[in-house]
Amino acid sequence: MFLDAMGLILADNNKISLGELSKPRALAAIPFGGRYRIIDYMLSCMVNSGIKSVGILTLNKYKSLMDHLGTGASWDLDRKNFGLHILPPYVNSESKSTEDGEEMAGLLDFIRSNRTEFVILANSNIVINTTFNDFIDVHVQSGADMSVMYNKDGTKYGTPNFIFETDKKRIITDVLFNPEKTDSNKCCIGVITLRRTLLIDLIAEMMAHGDRNFGIYSLLKKFDTLRIRAYEYKGLVLRINNIQTYFNASMQLLDDKVRSDLFWTGAPVLTKVKDEAPTLYFEACDVKNALVSDGCRIMGKVSNSILFRGVTVSKNSVVRNAVIMQDVHISDNCVLDHVILDKNAVIRPGTQLVGHKDYPVVIDKGAIV
Amino acid sequence: MAKAEIVAMILAGGQGSRLGVLTKNIAKPAVPFGSRYRIIDFPLSNCSNSGIETVGVLSQYQPLALNTYVGNGHPWDLDRNNGGAFILPPYLRSGKSDWYKGTANAIYQNREFLDDCGAKYVIVLSGDHIYKMNYARMIREHIDMEADATLAVIEVPWEETSRFGILNTGPKDAIVSFIEKPKKAKSNLASMGVYVFTWSVLRDVLVEDENDSDSDNDFGKNIVPRMLSHDMKLFAYRFSGYWKDVGTISSLWESNMDLLDRPEEINLIDRNWRIYSRNPSKPSNYISGDATVSMSAMTDGCQIYGTVLHSVLSDSVTVEKGAVVKDSVLLPGVTVKSGAFLDKCIVGFGTIIGKGVRAGASIEGESPYLNTHICSEGIVVIEKGLKIKDHSIIPANSQVDCDLDVKDESNVIEETFRV
Repeated sequence: MFLDAMGLILADNNKISLGELSKPRALAAIPFGGRYRIIDYMLSCMVNSGIKSVGILTLNKYKSLMDHLGTGASWDLDRKNFGLHILPPYVNSESKSTEDGEEMAGLLDFIRSNRTEFVILANSNIVINTTFNDFIDVHVQSGADMSVMYNKDGTKYGTPNFIFETDKKRIITDVLFNPEKTDSNKCCIGVITLRRTLLIDLIAEMMAHGDRNFGIYSLLKKFDTLRIRAYEYKGLVLRINNIQTYFNASMQLLDDKVRSDLFWTGAPVLTKVKDEAPTLYFEACDVKNALVSDGCRIMGKVSNSILFRGVTVSKNSVVRNAVIMQDVHISDNCVLDHVILDKNAVIRPGTQLVGHKDYPVVIDKGAIV
Repeated sequence: MAKAEIVAMILAGGQGSRLGVLTKNIAKPAVPFGSRYRIIDFPLSNCSNSGIETVGVLSQYQPLALNTYVGNGHPWDLDRNNGGAFILPPYLRSGKSDWYKGTANAIYQNREFLDDCGAKYVIVLSGDHIYKMNYARMIREHIDMEADATLAVIEVPWEETSRFGILNTGPKDAIVSFIEKPKKAKSNLASMGVYVFTWSVLRDVLVEDENDSDSDNDFGKNIVPRMLSHDMKLFAYRFSGYWKDVGTISSLWESNMDLLDRPEEINLIDRNWRIYSRNPSKPSNYISGDATVSMSAMTDGCQIYGTVLHSVLSDSVTVEKGAVVKDSVLLPGVTVKSGAFLDKCIVGFGTIIGKGVRAGASIEGESPYLNTHICSEGIVVIEKGLKIKDHSIIPANSQVDCDLDVKDESNVIEETFRV
């Protein structure tokens, strides 16, 4: 596919916290769905659309994101021209801190160095598998200044949310942030498109005003001066706004229809290859309704769970309703129910951890329990 | 051209005719193995992990899949500016041109490649063995002993010596004689098909061998005996660990089963010696609430709704509800429809096993597909890209081959498609 657009992904979102999971890493770098990180979905959408230049905007805690993205080779973004660029906050020798809107200077340089007609700008709290070709086609035909994707989720995924009110031509007439009560169910998906030259003008204007918060919302606020059109996306969208929605979205992957819409569309979700060995299911194991990644060794009982790469579940242990991240070791005779275990956690023999559907127990990265 | 003191040459041109339909359209080294690998991943990963960064892959028979798979060598870290992976097919010359006539002739025809690399040592590997080996140690020993050639050897059970090339050694493991498949062996040291040569010496021997019209131009049969007859210094390098030739259907099946029965031997989870492979980019494997899975290996993209017992599944295999897969090896993209029963089967890329099909070692009966030349121990082999008719019966030791002329009522193939 070919698309005359560049991509920008906002790796952080200061309105969203996933507690212990977002403590060591950017929102975009949070593992999701077995062998992926959240950013893999949006990055794959962009690459599968034909985008060949992607900038990732980071604020802090970007080490794990950089480890994951590397040169961009896994997404075919290791290119001489354009490719993948990580854009950390911009600090030059004069400005020791990143105040006064300086962090946008690096972004502006990056956007200016591209040659594409359009930009796709996306948040990192959504899991989706689509292409943006139709989105941009419709945007061009509509003659709007900017287009933004939404669906009819309303406020059911909790905060943060942006709800649109539109006129009959779907031009946005109002944008509500976390409304208590609203008649509209048009909930922003956090993907917008506009001409690259317009984005340059808008960022330059923000910098001139000392505005430091660049993001989807700061652009949507321009609805009073720009024609911003809402584009309805009817496919699968999983929203990750907090630990509960993260856990629920993970559990939704156990549904055949959800997995089919996310993973088997014909466009692959790409990620960093880890070269783990195949998963080994041992004789005494009992696995029901589980998504299991390479390098796992399963000797115990696993049900309704997502296992990332390299997880060991030892004999006589029971894992239910759990999200177990990379390289977690679960020893013998453990019972784990409604838990999220972050990377490299070690669960000692005989441990029992039982959370609740709405409040899963979260164990820190590398913790020994 | 970039210089490399040590160059690996992987012999990947053989047909592997004993693997029957599995190698009808692809070279043996490109045959999937062990759920997420191809056979050639083992020598390529061994090279990469041993620090050998210039690797020639000699391809000849049905090279398309192999060449595509190796590509620029990226999965094995062999996409180097200085060196890297090179696919070396036979080519036309202004003078006399030929296909690769034998393993030694293949290297002979690429002597200019090795010269241009500035190779001092060349390690010759075959593309049909499953093992993990640090070649760097063997090369160091070769250099320390000032050897002309060093052959990796492994002790095999005495009763199996007649299947291998056997080396008789003297003091310091100096090779005294080499006998291909001896009836009565004096030693149980078998050649593993891993040779280190000092290039300047080998080059002369290859030229001499080429000029001998009686020679088969084969390393084991001709080059090693020729070097011994010239009183050259040949040593054996002892290797211990998992090593298996997967040149036949039964050994390919056994080696796959070894991953389940003795996973600690080949130890694929060893992070100090990873085996790399090209990734299919599929989601994690899914085991449904109705499924039963035991003693099995699988990888990305598998979707299991039925029963999988003691089997090795490659990527993107689907086993429907009510289907039973036992002691089998399913290659990428196979679908097993509901109610089907597979017992000791090897099924090729993308083949669809229809509803209620019964195939395998425990199925008795006559069949036009019986082929004891290729199949043994009850193993059933089914070609890639087939739709097997619902409720077909395929008895033990059958090979389902779409080129076989079988009358309608006993034909189990509903359609064929490209995969």
